[in-house]
Amino acid sequence: MRRDPARARPARLLPAPPRVARPSPRRVRAARLLPVWAACLAAVLVAALPVPAEAHVVAAGADLRVAQTIAGTELTVVVEGVERVPGELRIGVVAYQPVTGPPVGLELRSVADGRTVTGTAHAGPEPRYTPLRVERAGPHELRLRAGDEVAVVPFRVLVERASAWEALIYGGLFTAGLLVVGGLLTGAPSRPRAAMLLAGGAAAGLTVAVTFVVLDPWLPPRPPDGAAPTAETGARGRPFAQGRVATVPARPAAGEEFTLRIDLVDGSTGLPVDDLAVHHEALAHLVVTSEDGRAFHHVHPLRTAPGRLEVRMRAQRPGRHLAYAELERQDSGGQLVTGEFTVGGEPSPAEPSPAESAATEPFPAEASSATASAEPAPTGSAGRPGPPRMEPAVPVAGRPATIEVETSGAVRPWLGMAGHLIVRSRDGAFLGHVHEMGSARGGRLRFTFGFPAAGRYLAWAQYATGDRIVTVPFTVDVAASETTP
Amino acid sequence: MRRALVAAVCLVVAAAAFFVLGRGGDGPLRLTVTGTHYAVTVLIGEPVAGKGAVEVVLDAGDADTVVLSAVMPEMGHATPEVVAREPEPGRFLAEGGLFSMAGVWELVIRLTGPPGEEVLTAKALITGSLAEPGT
Repeated sequence: MRRDPARARPARLLPAPPRVARPSPRRVRAARLLPVWAACLAAVLVAALPVPAEAHVVAAGADLRVAQTIAGTELTVVVEGVERVPGELRIGVVAYQPVTGPPVGLELRSVADGRTVTGTAHAGPEPRYTPLRVERAGPHELRLRAGDEVAVVPFRVLVERASAWEALIYGGLFTAGLLVVGGLLTGAPSRPRAAMLLAGGAAAGLTVAVTFVVLDPWLPPRPPDGAAPTAETGARGRPFAQGRVATVPARPAAGEEFTLRIDLVDGSTGLPVDDLAVHHEALAHLVVTSEDGRAFHHVHPLRTAPGRLEVRMRAQRPGRHLAYAELERQDSGGQLVTGEFTVGGEPSPAEPSPAESAATEPFPAEASSATASAEPAPTGSAGRPGPPRMEPAVPVAGRPATIEVETSGAVRPWLGMAGHLIVRSRDGAFLGHVHEMGSARGGRLRFTFGFPAAGRYLAWAQYATGDRIVTVPFTVDVAASETTP
Repeated sequence: MRRALVAAVCLVVAAAAFFVLGRGGDGPLRLTVTGTHYAVTVLIGEPVAGKGAVEVVLDAGDADTVVLSAVMPEMGHATPEVVAREPEPGRFLAEGGLFSMAGVWELVIRLTGPPGEEVLTAKALITGSLAEPGT
């Protein structure tokens, strides 16, 4: 959680303590007790006021990054954090492949007062930010328009507020200073009773100020302006979301564009789920593979209505396709929503199954991280990456295995990570997704993954270079563990 | 000096009490929500579990009916819809117990009128509890 840098300021501004009379033994004892009751007070406050969990919720001042597959392109929309309102909210759009289409239309609307501002953003490898005026903190909707596709991203403009304790700190210091200066000017020290009152008052003010300066790191911060209300007690976590995966049309034809739709409902109430957290820079990560594994898509559907995610796709291969959506509700853990659909059309001439072909044919017939990118990774003879390497050479079920993937160029972060490894069991019953271990150097990505059971797995490693998202498909044969019954 | 110490302790305790008691509070809630067709101000005089009469004032749009329901996502609770009566034009009142327990509730406001139907939502922190959580 970001902490307000201003919270530490009072400590640096503490003036030298005023001169007071030599402390009496009683006062010395009281001073010795100061840390004790201060610690007790801190313990009580910390116990009574738990800080709400903020996993995967964008903190005040932090950027919001949301991947969107829109108009056939994989984009990441960056909404920069704001320091104050009214002020400018800067929005940029990052592209992971050359973009030739028109700029992305932006419409920012305050849900509280309906005030709406518009602008456009040009997607590029580095975002060129478009400033939009934001008048207040709180819930907003960002409407993105590209071609005839529209996405509505709900988010909150959060502005960090000064520490609630600053008033006490400055108030205590002010009181002490006022009493000391006022007392000196009026000659109060010469009168024992007045001197005692002055010293007591100044000491009280200083005590309050110093106490809260010392306790500041442990005190709960104020929620930022614009934050959703949070309950201090009660349950954490939310019911599972149940998803219904469908296509429009119901039976898409091979090679033709269709819409894949996911309707999410709350497992307890049956009402639409519209509280998705931004999880690894997306509201949902959708993986679609053909049953045989030769087609692979990793896309990021658009929120088109409360509880509804949609993405336009094009499947080249007829037959059964499997869909897996990774998502996370706020204040909850991740979950996987699955479904399937069938693409109509005539099957292409007999081809080797991916299990047999992947070892010799390193790229699938159809791979995309956006509907537009169906081309394989670069295969220049000089820079062609070698096949992935396993450690151990034959992974054992239930034990971690390390997979190294050579890259075909300088890697840049995508979805907050250097690389992604998606693993599917041959029958489609299992899907795993692991990230690069943070050691993407020397043209290699390293993943560690524990295959749950013996058998053959289909795997796709993904990373972004300067102008494309590369997908490296391969298969992994996993041996049974000798210790596992 | 003893008085000074007592005063200091009192100040700190008062500050702590102010902080503890000042958070959340049971004061009236006032929320504004603006949709495409309608804009409303929601007033909850007593945001306390078991009470919580909800007043919806139309700021924009011409709604004939206002229907309220509430959802508590963390507990998986949802309430039946309550049709708000309209004691005066543009002011709707729902007095059914929408909030059965303390926590963050999502108030769902369904408005219908000549501009069409629209659903607005607002989050409300409800304090106190007449029913124990989970019951």
